[in-house]
Amino acid sequence: MSVAGTVVDVLVSGLAKASLYAMMALGLTLIFGLLGVLNFAHGSLTMLGAYAAGLLMVTFAGTGVSALVWFLVAGLTAGVLVGGLGAAMEVGLIRKLYDRPPIYQILLTFGITLVIDELARIVVLFYGMQPQTDWQAALGTKPAFIADTLTVFGGTINHLELFEILWGVLTVLAVWAFLNRTRYGLVVRAGSEDEDMAAALGIDVRRVFTVVFALGAGLAGFAGALLMWDPAWAASVPLASETLLPAFVVVIVGGLGSFRGTVVAAVIVGMVDALMTYFFDHAIITFSGLPELTVFLILVGVLVVRPQGIFGLAEVGGH
Amino acid sequence: MSLLEVEDVHAYYGESHVLEGVTLDVERGEVVALVGRNGVGKTTTLRSILQLTPPREGDVRYDGESLVGHETHEVADRGVGWIPEDRRVFAHLTVAENIRLAVPADDDVEDALERAYEAFPDLSEIGGRDAGTLSGGQQQMLAIARGLVGNNDLLLVDEPSEGLAPLIVEDVTEALANLAEDTTMLVVEQNLPLALDIADRFYVLDHGTVVDEGSTEGVSTDDERFERLSA
Repeated sequence: MSVAGTVVDVLVSGLAKASLYAMMALGLTLIFGLLGVLNFAHGSLTMLGAYAAGLLMVTFAGTGVSALVWFLVAGLTAGVLVGGLGAAMEVGLIRKLYDRPPIYQILLTFGITLVIDELARIVVLFYGMQPQTDWQAALGTKPAFIADTLTVFGGTINHLELFEILWGVLTVLAVWAFLNRTRYGLVVRAGSEDEDMAAALGIDVRRVFTVVFALGAGLAGFAGALLMWDPAWAASVPLASETLLPAFVVVIVGGLGSFRGTVVAAVIVGMVDALMTYFFDHAIITFSGLPELTVFLILVGVLVVRPQGIFGLAEVGGH
Repeated sequence: MSLLEVEDVHAYYGESHVLEGVTLDVERGEVVALVGRNGVGKTTTLRSILQLTPPREGDVRYDGESLVGHETHEVADRGVGWIPEDRRVFAHLTVAENIRLAVPADDDVEDALERAYEAFPDLSEIGGRDAGTLSGGQQQMLAIARGLVGNNDLLLVDEPSEGLAPLIVEDVTEALANLAEDTTMLVVEQNLPLALDIADRFYVLDHGTVVDEGSTEGVSTDDERFERLSA
């Protein structure tokens, strides 16, 4: 393959991975930025989104309506359902611990992830979606053109990668517009800086917390819908932990609570991951864990050199 | 009936008993100064009125209705504004965004911005700058501008001159005096000349309770009632 082809290959693949990482991490960083809660259940919410969207696709795709339309319906439904679950979690459980040290919230959300994962495992076993790791049925609902490839300068681009980049960009733009171009986004940014002052200006900060938690969870759910079609991820119970780790890496590297940092870190991590995957796929380096190792090396490097992350503040979130 | 009635309010930080029965009132249209040394409970009194530090005993009534048990945003919705100590502008929001946030939902935001910029022309030139990059004086003007556009009936103003250069203090005093023409105010201030300059009445707070009060008319800073302020 030509050098240009290699560049195209790695660049598109990196951007696709970056899009997925950004979608996995944006909800996590929104929730931490405003509420100061490190939501360990975020990966489980992504997994639920993948299954919810997958179920809808398996049930309704192939009924004459375009699979893309169903994808939109399934993705939005997954986002709304998981967002609703997030709101219920915030109101029913997490809200009670805001005045406690962060370790309580971490333990609670870790407990929630164990419960969600076990419940999901029971349900998918009961309905025969497992034991296969990837839920092949959902993968099979992909429209044919997404499985196609195209060649640019000798490099191979999967349509699925372009699809992922499109949704990643749209999601980032939508969240940015919400935060920067709406009154509610202004309220969210103010509440994340100074809860008391925001309340003294007439803002119901607790309601904002619920909305932001729902939004963060909804983003996780929508990310799950997108992952459902990617053979590298797919709908499976282990998806919870498989997405939680990179999401945490991205938000820590970018700076906890920083929207800009999360997007930049997602691009860095996605690009490095793609480059290392290329090295491995082309037997330049034969260590199979190379992409993961490199991603975690980035995390270690940032923590040593700039512990607050690339765009992180010394202190953010909390109550 | 007074606009604000604080009656025998006791407030705590954890187990620390900070307010030990504060009683004061503010009539509609008045400017009342609350003076006292550091740490005697002045800021806590304002926080108790706002329900940021809810009283454990006693009552706070606004326009005849108790505020105790209500959330801070509900207190704000009733028309109580806050210009806090250290300004507390939203550092990562622009000047204009800080002002926009303070505008009540039913008010016209652009009109409110115009009013704020008319009162503080300097702010109009830096409307797009992050508030965290402003000088202390500019931040204080922004904090007062937020109070202005909030259309509050009562403003709780905490240490407006703290940490400002004398020239800036003059501007702040003038801005507060203008605001006082339409707004009732309870002003916490250690700068006694400023407090006496803008207030109609004063309360002296010591050890979490009111120990003296009176009209500011004809009162000078060397009045014996203020001796405990320098003690």
